[in-house]
Amino acid sequence: MALMRHEMRISYGPVGDTIGEVKVEPGTWHMKGDELLLRASGLAMRYRKGHGVTIEHDPGVRSSEEQLYLNGTVYAAAACINGFYPLHASAVAWNGGVHAFTGPAGAGKSTLVAALGSAGLPMFCDDTLILDLSDPAVPLALPGHKRLKLTDEALALTGAEAQEQVDDEIEKFYALPAGGDWQAPLPLRQLIFLEGGDRTETLPISGAEKIARLSDDHYTAELFLWANDMNIAHRFAAQSRLARQIAMVRLVRPWDTGQFTASVTLARELIFAQAIQP
Amino acid sequence: MTALLSKLIDRFVETAIDDETVVMDMDSAEFFSLNQTAGAVWRLIDGTRGRDAIVAKLAADYGVKAATIAAEVDEVLGKFREAGFIGG
Repeated sequence: MALMRHEMRISYGPVGDTIGEVKVEPGTWHMKGDELLLRASGLAMRYRKGHGVTIEHDPGVRSSEEQLYLNGTVYAAAACINGFYPLHASAVAWNGGVHAFTGPAGAGKSTLVAALGSAGLPMFCDDTLILDLSDPAVPLALPGHKRLKLTDEALALTGAEAQEQVDDEIEKFYALPAGGDWQAPLPLRQLIFLEGGDRTETLPISGAEKIARLSDDHYTAELFLWANDMNIAHRFAAQSRLARQIAMVRLVRPWDTGQFTASVTLARELIFAQAIQP
Repeated sequence: MTALLSKLIDRFVETAIDDETVVMDMDSAEFFSLNQTAGAVWRLIDGTRGRDAIVAKLAADYGVKAATIAAEVDEVLGKFREAGFIGG
């Protein structure tokens, strides 16, 4: 994690709008070699390996918006450029391993991780999980980099401790997970895909479906491809390896807060079933 | 005797996950999960056998008549050819 902390150091200054020969339009990003340029409305960030992140923004751009891009796309891109494999996931640590929850924005990754904190499972990361695949035997997860953010409703559901509001325009609060957070790398044991459905249940994933689901991991799989010269065989190898080495399962649940406790219970059962016993 | 069949190894990558063979097309990034028959045929394509030899080998392995499985093998080989994974 020291490497990523070093790579994510920030400076402010002109960022420009091109990378190589490519002009990057607002609302898009482009990656070339060991460099990323991201442009949003009134905000631009350039990451270059070994040089950190340069940010340029118009007056009035909210700090929370800057953090969103910095801790999301830019962080995941920097991880890819430095040889890591990011997953769009939040995770907890338990019994010597990491158990991660993935799903699109709004799937409830952060809320579930916060709730598991109340059951004594420390948070490992929120929203972006970085994997170090340099050891062929073990996909090693690197602990998180950003603060947990929850809505009022999620705070009430999970028992996490509310801190300051993210900003005036965002109805979310920074939060301390009741189980604390884990600070050391651990092997990734399990990836749980969160989905909506009529009832709370778990469903197995096997074979090619594991790779299909890893390929559908929102922006992170695409960033990995760009950072590796669009080498689809390299990405396939990384995904195949993860498919062989970690358990994957679907956790289906209704979007209904009344059913939330049942889904937390099921998540705990999945984790305890996969945890390596001391 | 039918022409020897070979895998065009620069056209795909393959892996095994949970007893499934998964083959990815290097051009399209599409991947294919091979069922039991397709996997068995796939494993026999090694540059030393043609279609008839593959049918004969599978018939012997599974204890069935060659005519019983020939159509299924042809269908699988057709799909491999269509995907550009084999030649011969």
